[in-house]
Amino acid sequence: MNRSSSRAGVTMSVTSEHDDRSASDVSRTQEAILAAYAELIEELGTDDVSFRLIARRAGVGERTIFRNYATRVDLLLATAAWIERRIFPRQDSPSIFDMPLTIRAAMESYDHRPELAHVVAETTMRGISGATPSPRRAMLEEMIDAEISALGDAERRAIVAALAHLDSAATWVTFRREFGMTRSDIADAAAWAAEAVLDPIRSRVG
Amino acid sequence: MAEGVDTPTAILASAAAALRENPFDDISYRALGDAVGVSERTVYRHFPTRSHLLEGVAGWIESTEFPLPPFVTIPQFQEASRARFLAFDASPAFAFVCARAASISPTGESEATFFTRALVAMLATNYPSVNERDLRRVAATLRYFASTQFWARMRTGFDLSAPEISDAFDRTVAQALSGLPTLTRTSR
Repeated sequence: MNRSSSRAGVTMSVTSEHDDRSASDVSRTQEAILAAYAELIEELGTDDVSFRLIARRAGVGERTIFRNYATRVDLLLATAAWIERRIFPRQDSPSIFDMPLTIRAAMESYDHRPELAHVVAETTMRGISGATPSPRRAMLEEMIDAEISALGDAERRAIVAALAHLDSAATWVTFRREFGMTRSDIADAAAWAAEAVLDPIRSRVG
Repeated sequence: MAEGVDTPTAILASAAAALRENPFDDISYRALGDAVGVSERTVYRHFPTRSHLLEGVAGWIESTEFPLPPFVTIPQFQEASRARFLAFDASPAFAFVCARAASISPTGESEATFFTRALVAMLATNYPSVNERDLRRVAATLRYFASTQFWARMRTGFDLSAPEISDAFDRTVAQALSGLPTLTRTSR
């Protein structure tokens, strides 16, 4: 991923070591490109959007896009990460036990922007060459460690893994596609599942 | 390769074979046409977009490489899911394609997969007294944690192997089922 550019004169600082596509290293130009592509994906789907169209919508030259994103896949992955951050942001939750609420809200926001939710879900399923599939893993680990002290490795891992899996666009996709659930059903079911995952540690705070 | 097989199936088999060498996005319609002995146009006619092709290849892979072992009880469902996680580990390129296909905007009418229907039926049989709404959210949770998507997220995001993924899966299944009555277990 290209992060050499600070064309808009903004100083880039890479604050996050695990995600090289974090918010801080997107320049203003890149922001315009990613926002334009996200808009066009909602209007036209991912298949039919040309670089020329994106350039026109973003108000930049086509070459500027190529300079920032060498390939279509690079552009799509950067856009997916941008969408997750900007369109589907999570509230900072102080406690791991707030996760069911966080997940409920996330499901509702995915349901409002189905096309973008699918893009986020799909790009996280591509393996190491795709978008990072659990961007909030470290945050979950910090929260659980802060609240629950005596927790076996396997149990801790399973809880963090389950919450990371539930707190994602793929949950919304699967519950809708496989079970035909409505927005509120999806939000309820995902939040319920998160509660179930948290049940065994509910009384072990400290 | 195409002997006795219809053209779309031959195209899918050829695409799956190409996945052993190349990522899905690098597989061209022209190369598929060449491999099967039809024109690029014919490939487009069968798979108008890459999403259609992705869904088709995933369907072909699911049925040939990752067949679902039959299950009528919860332990059998868990065993079937664990066996699939191992199969995904053995053919990661295939499994990632299935995970991607399960996540894209569906190209046609979206409908439940066979796996989902089998799971819903199994739960209904084992928990006849549980209301439909509760059963559905249990089913959705179990289905989602038995998916290629769970495997993919665990492998890429958590560096877990199939046995570790199975452990996380089993723990989550146990939690999802913990609120259901245990009495009906005797029906096994």
